[in-house]
Amino acid sequence: MIERDIEVVNKLGLHARAASKLVKLTAGFSSTIKLISREQEVDAKSIMGILMLAATQGTTLKLTVDGEDEVKAADAVAALFADYFGEGE
Amino acid sequence: MLALHGTGVGAGIAIGKARVISKPGDNIARYEVAEDDLNAELKRFKVGVENAIASLISAGEKFEDSIPEEVAALLETHSLILQDPMLQEETVKIIRDKNVNAEYALLIYQKRMQKVFDEIPDPYLSSKSADISQVIQRVQGALIESDESAEQSLNNQPDGAFDGEIIIANDLTPADTIALKKHQISGFLTNLGGPTSHTAILARSLQIPAIVGLHNALNLLRTGDLLIVDGKRGVILAGPDEVSLDAYRRRREKIIHRSQALETLREAESVSLDGQKVNLLSNVELPEEVALSVRQNAEGVGLYRTEFLFMNREELPDEEEQYQVYSEVLKSSDKSVTIRTLDLGADKQVDGGRVSESQGTNPALGLRAIRLCLHDLGLFKPHLRAIFRASVHGKTKLMVPMLSTVEELDQLFILIAEVKQELRAQGCEFDDAIPIGAMIEVPAAAVAADIFAHKLDFLSIGTNDLIQYTLAIDRIDDEVNYLYDPLHPSILRLVKMVIDAGKNANIPVSMCGEMAGEPEFTRVLLALGLREFSMDPASLLEVKQRILMSDIRLLEQALPAIMSEMEPGKLRQKVTALNQ
Repeated sequence: MIERDIEVVNKLGLHARAASKLVKLTAGFSSTIKLISREQEVDAKSIMGILMLAATQGTTLKLTVDGEDEVKAADAVAALFADYFGEGE
Repeated sequence: MLALHGTGVGAGIAIGKARVISKPGDNIARYEVAEDDLNAELKRFKVGVENAIASLISAGEKFEDSIPEEVAALLETHSLILQDPMLQEETVKIIRDKNVNAEYALLIYQKRMQKVFDEIPDPYLSSKSADISQVIQRVQGALIESDESAEQSLNNQPDGAFDGEIIIANDLTPADTIALKKHQISGFLTNLGGPTSHTAILARSLQIPAIVGLHNALNLLRTGDLLIVDGKRGVILAGPDEVSLDAYRRRREKIIHRSQALETLREAESVSLDGQKVNLLSNVELPEEVALSVRQNAEGVGLYRTEFLFMNREELPDEEEQYQVYSEVLKSSDKSVTIRTLDLGADKQVDGGRVSESQGTNPALGLRAIRLCLHDLGLFKPHLRAIFRASVHGKTKLMVPMLSTVEELDQLFILIAEVKQELRAQGCEFDDAIPIGAMIEVPAAAVAADIFAHKLDFLSIGTNDLIQYTLAIDRIDDEVNYLYDPLHPSILRLVKMVIDAGKNANIPVSMCGEMAGEPEFTRVLLALGLREFSMDPASLLEVKQRILMSDIRLLEQALPAIMSEMEPGKLRQKVTALNQ
C-alpha cells in the first residue's frame, strides 16, 4: 500500500469539475484509492465523496492506494493535483 | 384483506383499482417492501438508475455538436454522480435495512447528503448538494416512469386516463381537483382533509364516494390494488375477498336504486306540507356545472365561485377572458346567477405568484377574499368590470366574500360606482340594477348582520368559514376537525341572528355553506327561518325530499326548546327528533 501527502494547490479547490477529473482518472485503476482529510476518509472513485471533503486551496490530504497498479495510480493522482487539475492556476 | 378507516365525505360505494398519484420530487410515497420482494426492488432501482443515465445522455444529445462547455461539464458531473458507487451502495443499504421502496430510500439518502453539505463552510462546495438533489430526483422520476405501479402526476395525464379508478393522494389542492374533473374517477382517498375541506366538496360535486383524513392510505395502498370504498362509513377494504365483494356490490346496487327513486322528484316544486315555498339553488365552480344545476331544476345559482378561473395557471386571466367565462355561465341559465367575487388566499392560492408570495403564518385570518381584492385593485377592478359587462347576458347578482367591516362595504360601493361610470363612458352595456350582497361568514359580520343588512340587497350565510372562525378550528386540520360542529349552540344562534336581521331589513337571506346541502340539517334550518338553500346540485333532490315531507309550522314550534337546550347531547337529540 502506498501512502502519500498531497496538497490542493489549485485556486478553486476540489470543486465539481476538479472532482470529475479525479473520478475519471481513478476509475481507470483497479487499486482501492482513498483520500483522507482529518477524520474523513472517502473513496476517490466517488464524486460525492470527493465533494464532501470540501477541500479548499492549501488543504493537505492523505492519499492511500492499495492494489496491483498502486504505483502508477498514486503517481497519476499526485500529478493531477500538481497540475492544478489542468486549470492553470 | 386490509381494512382502513377515515372520514367518509362522499356517500356511496366505489369498487375499483387504486391509483396513487403524486408529483415526483415533492411528495415521494413511502411503502414497505416485503423481504421476498427486496431483490425485485433492488433490480427496479438498478433499472431506474440506468434509465436516468439514458435520459441524461439524451438531454446532452439535444445540443448535438455545439454543446456549450458549461453544459457539458454539468452533464458530466451529473452522470458521474449517477454512477457514483457511494450513491448506489448507500441507497441499496437503505432499501435493505429499512425495507422501503427505492424512491423513498433515495429521499432518505438525499436528506443525509443535504445535511453533510449544509455543514461545509465553503459556499460554492456547499451548493453542490443541489446537483446531487437534481440527480436523485432524476432517478426518482425515472423510477416513477419506468414503473406503472408508482405515482403519476395528475396534470400530465390525458383526459380519461384514470376513468373508473380510485385516486389516492396525500392531499388534493383545489387546483388539483380541477384537473381531476377530466377523469371519470370512481372515488378518492386522501391522507389529509376533513369533512368540509375542498376535497370533500369535490367528492359531493362529482357524486362519488371519498374518504379523507386517512393517515396511512398513501403508504399502505399501491396502484393496481383492488379497493372497496364505503364513503358513508369511511371504510376502505383493500384486496377484498369474494364474499365482501358480493355484499358491497349488492349495497352499491341498492344505493343506485335509491338515487334513481329521488330522480322522480326532479320536476316537483319544493313546497313544504304547510304550503311554504322554499328556494333551492346550486353552488357551481365551472361553467359546465351550470348544466347540472339546470338539469336538477334548481331555482338558480346561489354561488358561482369565480376563483377557479384563476388557479392552475401561470398568468392571471385578463378582463376579456373573465368576461367570456362569466357570460357563458349567465347564458347557460335562464334563472339568476349569484357571482361571488374572488375568494383567493388561504387554501386557494394563485399559481401566478401574485398571492402566494405574501403568505402569512395564518392565511385563513390573513389577506384573503374581499380584503385581498380591495388591497389589489389591479386584480379586482378588471374582475368587477368583467362581471358588470357580462350582466347583460343573464340575471346577475353580485356577492362579496368574507365581509367583516362596514368600511369594506363603503369601499366596494365606491369602486362599483367607478366601474359603472367607466363602462358608461366607454359605451359598454350592463345591468344597472344588479343586486349587491355579501357572504356572512366572519362571526363579526353575523353578530352585526343588522348593520350590513341595511346596506345590502341580500345576505348569504357561508357556514364552512363561519363555523371554522366561530369555533376557532382549522377545517383542514384533521387533528381538530372533530370539533367542527354545525349544531354548536353558537352556530345556531349566529344563523338565527343573520336570518332575523334579513327579515327586519326586508332582504332575502340564503345559505350557501355545506350545511345547506345536508339533509339532516334541513329541518332545523327551516325552523330557524331559512327559506333559501344553495348547495351542491348533487344534494338538491335529497334536500327537496325533506322539504316536501316537512310541516314548517310544527318545526317552528319545536325551535324554542332547541335554542334553550343547555346540554349538547340533548340538543343533538332534539334536532335528530325533528327528522323523524
